[in-house]
Amino acid sequence: MATKTPEQITEDLMRPMWGLSGRYVLAVAFLAGVVVAALCAFMWQVYAGLGVSGLRTPVFWGFYITDFVFWIGLSHAGTLISAILRLANATWRRPVTRCAEVITVFALSIGATFPIIHLGRPWLAFWLFPYPSERGLWPNIRSPLLWDFFAINTYLISSVTFLLLPMIPDFALIRDRANGWKQKVYGALSLGWTGTPRQWHRLETAMHIMAIAVIPVAVSVHSIVSWDFAMAPVPMWHSTIFAPYFVAGAIFSGIAALILAMALLRKFLHLEDYLLPIHFENLGKLLLVMSLLWFYFVFAERLTAWYGNETGEMPVFWTTQHGTYAGLFWLMVFCNFLIPVPILAIKKFRTILGTALASFTVVIGMWLERFLIIVPSLSHKYLTYSWGTYRPTWVEITITAGTFCAMALLYMIFSKVVPLISIWELKAGLHAAPHTPRVVVEPSEAGAD
Amino acid sequence: MAHQWGMVIDLDRCTGCEACVVACHAENNISTVGEDQARRSRAKHWIRVERYYEGEFPDVQVKFMPVLCQQCDAAPCEPVCPTFASYHTSEGLNGQIYNRCIGTRYCANACPYVVRYFNFFNPVWDKPLNLQLNPDVSVREVGVMEKCTFCVQRIKAGEIKAEAEKRELKDGEIQPACVQSCAPRAMVFGDLNDPESEVSRLANSGRATKLLAELGTRPKVTYLQRDAWHGHENA
Amino acid sequence: MATPYAIYGLFPTPETAERGFNALDRAGVSPSRIIVMASEPFDEYAFSKMDHATPMPYIAALGGIVGGVGGFFLARLTQEAYPIITGGMPLLAAWPTGIVTYELTMLGAVITTIVTLLVTTKLPNWKSKLYDHEVSHGKILIGVIEPSSAMRAEIENRLRGAGAVKVKITGGQS
Repeated sequence: MATKTPEQITEDLMRPMWGLSGRYVLAVAFLAGVVVAALCAFMWQVYAGLGVSGLRTPVFWGFYITDFVFWIGLSHAGTLISAILRLANATWRRPVTRCAEVITVFALSIGATFPIIHLGRPWLAFWLFPYPSERGLWPNIRSPLLWDFFAINTYLISSVTFLLLPMIPDFALIRDRANGWKQKVYGALSLGWTGTPRQWHRLETAMHIMAIAVIPVAVSVHSIVSWDFAMAPVPMWHSTIFAPYFVAGAIFSGIAALILAMALLRKFLHLEDYLLPIHFENLGKLLLVMSLLWFYFVFAERLTAWYGNETGEMPVFWTTQHGTYAGLFWLMVFCNFLIPVPILAIKKFRTILGTALASFTVVIGMWLERFLIIVPSLSHKYLTYSWGTYRPTWVEITITAGTFCAMALLYMIFSKVVPLISIWELKAGLHAAPHTPRVVVEPSEAGAD
Repeated sequence: MAHQWGMVIDLDRCTGCEACVVACHAENNISTVGEDQARRSRAKHWIRVERYYEGEFPDVQVKFMPVLCQQCDAAPCEPVCPTFASYHTSEGLNGQIYNRCIGTRYCANACPYVVRYFNFFNPVWDKPLNLQLNPDVSVREVGVMEKCTFCVQRIKAGEIKAEAEKRELKDGEIQPACVQSCAPRAMVFGDLNDPESEVSRLANSGRATKLLAELGTRPKVTYLQRDAWHGHENA
Repeated sequence: MATPYAIYGLFPTPETAERGFNALDRAGVSPSRIIVMASEPFDEYAFSKMDHATPMPYIAALGGIVGGVGGFFLARLTQEAYPIITGGMPLLAAWPTGIVTYELTMLGAVITTIVTLLVTTKLPNWKSKLYDHEVSHGKILIGVIEPSSAMRAEIENRLRGAGAVKVKITGGQS
C-alpha cells in the first residue's frame, strides 16, 4: 500500500473532479437520454391519463409504488453507515460516509417524486401540504399518505443537511485550489469557512446531533411507508410485521446499493488506495447480517400466514408460492438470500467483486420484493369475482428505467462537483487512529508547498 | 331523526338481468370504456352483477349477486384519503367529492368490495349517448375516483321536495336508479332509522346476511338469501 | 472589510503548531487574541480546545419541543377547523396525531441544529479576509490578532522558534 502525504490525499480525492473524459460524456449522454425519455413518458401519461399505464381494477398500485418503496428503502444506506457507524466510532467508515449520504439524498429525492408521478391529478399534489386553503379544508391526518408527506420531508431535510454540513470544509479546500468562476462558486458554498477551532467544534457537535436525530427519523420513514399497506384491509397487507420488515429490508437494500456504488467508484475514479478491501469486507458482513434478517422476517410472515389459513390470505400466499407469481418469488429468494449468503459468509468470496455481485443481486431481489408485496395482494382481494392481473406498459417501464438512470446520472454529475470521499474526515481519522487504514500519513516537508 | 339510508337485495329474486347496471350508467353519467379497456378491467360499473356457479352439470346452480358500494359505517376507504374526497355524510352515506380527489387510489385499494372505480381516461360517450347525460349529476374527469352514491341526487331531490311540501318522506318515495329498474323487485331502498320502512323490516329477516361482515366494515347493504353458499367459482 | 492586522505562523505539523500555541500562551497573549486555522479538526491538540462547551444539544432539544408542540397543534387544530368524519374514526385520532407530532419534533431539532450552527459560527461570512491559502495545503495557522507593537518582535521570534515554516504579517500597522 502506498504511503501518502496529506497533500497527496487531497490531490487524489480531488482528481476525479477535474476534466471530462470521452467515456464520461458518453455515459452522461446515454443516461440523460433515458431520463428524458422517462420525462416524455410521464408527460404523455399526464396528457392522456393513467390509462396508458398497466393499472386496472383491482390492481390500482403497480410499478410506481414499487419504485416508490424501493427508492425510499434504498435511501437508508447513508443513515446506517454515516449515523450508526459514526455513533459507534467505527473508524473504517470515514471514506464511505459521503458516498452513502449521497445515495441517500438522491434515492430519497427520486423516491419522493413517485407519489406525484402515480397521481391521477398530479398537478394537485400540493393539496397534501397543510396550508390554509380557500376551501377552508386541511389534509386528512388519519391518512398514511399524510404521514408519508411529513416523514419523507423531514427525512429529506435531515439527509440533505447531513450531507451538506461536512461538505463545507471540503468546499473550502476546493475554493483554495480553484480559479475564476469555480472559485466564486465554491467560495459561496463554503460559506467563508476558515477552519477555526470554534467552527470545527460546532460542526462536529452539529454532526453528532444530526447522527442521533436521523436514525429514529429513518426508522420512522420506512415504517410509515410500510403502513401505506398495513393500514388497509387487504389480504397479506394487514400485518403487524410490516413496519420492522420494511425497515430491515430498507437497510438491506441500502447497504447493497452502497457496496455497488463504492465498487463502481473505486474502479472508475481510481480510488483503489482509499476504498480498500477491508471496507468491502466490513460492509459485506453487514450485508450478510441483513440478508439473514430479511430471511427471518419473510419466514416469520409466511409461516404465520400459512398457519393462519385465513380464507382471504391463502390465495395470495399460494399465488406467490406456486402460482402466477411463483417465478418472481423464488427469483427474489435466490437474489436476496441464496446467492448473497454463501458469497458473504465465506471469507474467500467476500472480496470486492464478490460483495459487489452479491449486492447487485440484492438490489434486484429487493425491487422484486416490493413488487411482490403490492401486486399479488391487490390481485387477489376478498371477492374472487374481482381478482385481476397486472402487466406494466412501456410508460411504467420507461419511467422506472429513467429513475435508475437518473440515480446514476446524478451520481456522475455529483462526482464532478464534490469529492466523493470526505477529505477532512479521512485525514482526521488518520490522526485519531493511524493504525487503521493502510494509508500512512507523513508530515509534509518543511517549506514544501 | 336523521335518515340512515340503506338497501336490501334479495338474492333469491335476482335474475341477473343487469337492468340495474344499465340504469346506473344512464342515471349517473357513467361512460362505457370500450371493448379493449373493458377487457383490461377498466369498466366503471358502479353496480355489477357477480355470477357464481355451484355444482356440476346437470345440477348446476347459478347465483347472481349485485355488488355496489356498501356505504359502510366503518368504511376503510375513508380514513386513507389524504384530501377528504372520501368521507361519511350525516345520513350514513359514503360520499365521494370529485373535486377533492387527486387520484391516489388508496381508497380503491382499501375497499374490500372492489366497488371503487378510477377514471383512467377522460370519459367518452359515443353518439348519440352524449345527448342523454343527466344534468343532476357531474361528469368526472380523468384521474378521479368514482363509485355508487345511492343516487344521492335523487335522495336530495326527494328531501327538498318533501321539505317544500312540508311533509315527511314516504317510504319508497326515493328510489335509486338500480332499485327503480329492478324487474323482479329484488332491491329495496329506504331509511334504516325508520323501523316501519320496508328496508328495516327486510334487514331484520331470517335470511339477512352482510357481505364480508367479518372485516368490520359495517356495510349498509343487506343481502337476503335462504341457503348459504358452499363454493365459489366465478363465471 | 480590510484585512485585519495580525501576525501568524504556518506550521507543518500539529506537534509544531502545538509548540507555537504554547509559546504564545506563555508569552502572555490573551486567548481571545490567538487565531488558529486548520484544514482538519485536530481535536486531540491543545490549540483546538479553545472553544467553550456549546449548549447546541440543549438548543436542539428545545427546537424539537417547539416542533413537537407545533406538530401537535397542527394535527389537532386543522382537523377541528373543518371537521369531517371518516371511517367511524374519531375526529382527533391519537395515533396519527402522535405520528405527526413525532415527525415535526425531529424536524424541529434538525432545523434548530442547522440554525444554531450557522449563528454560533457566524457563517456564512464571505467578507472576512483573515485567511491563508496555505491552510488548505495542510499548514496550521497559529497567530495573534492585533498584537501590541511592543509584543510584535517577541511573537515573531516565538513562532519561528516553535518551528513555523513561514511567518506573515497582514493588514495595516496598528
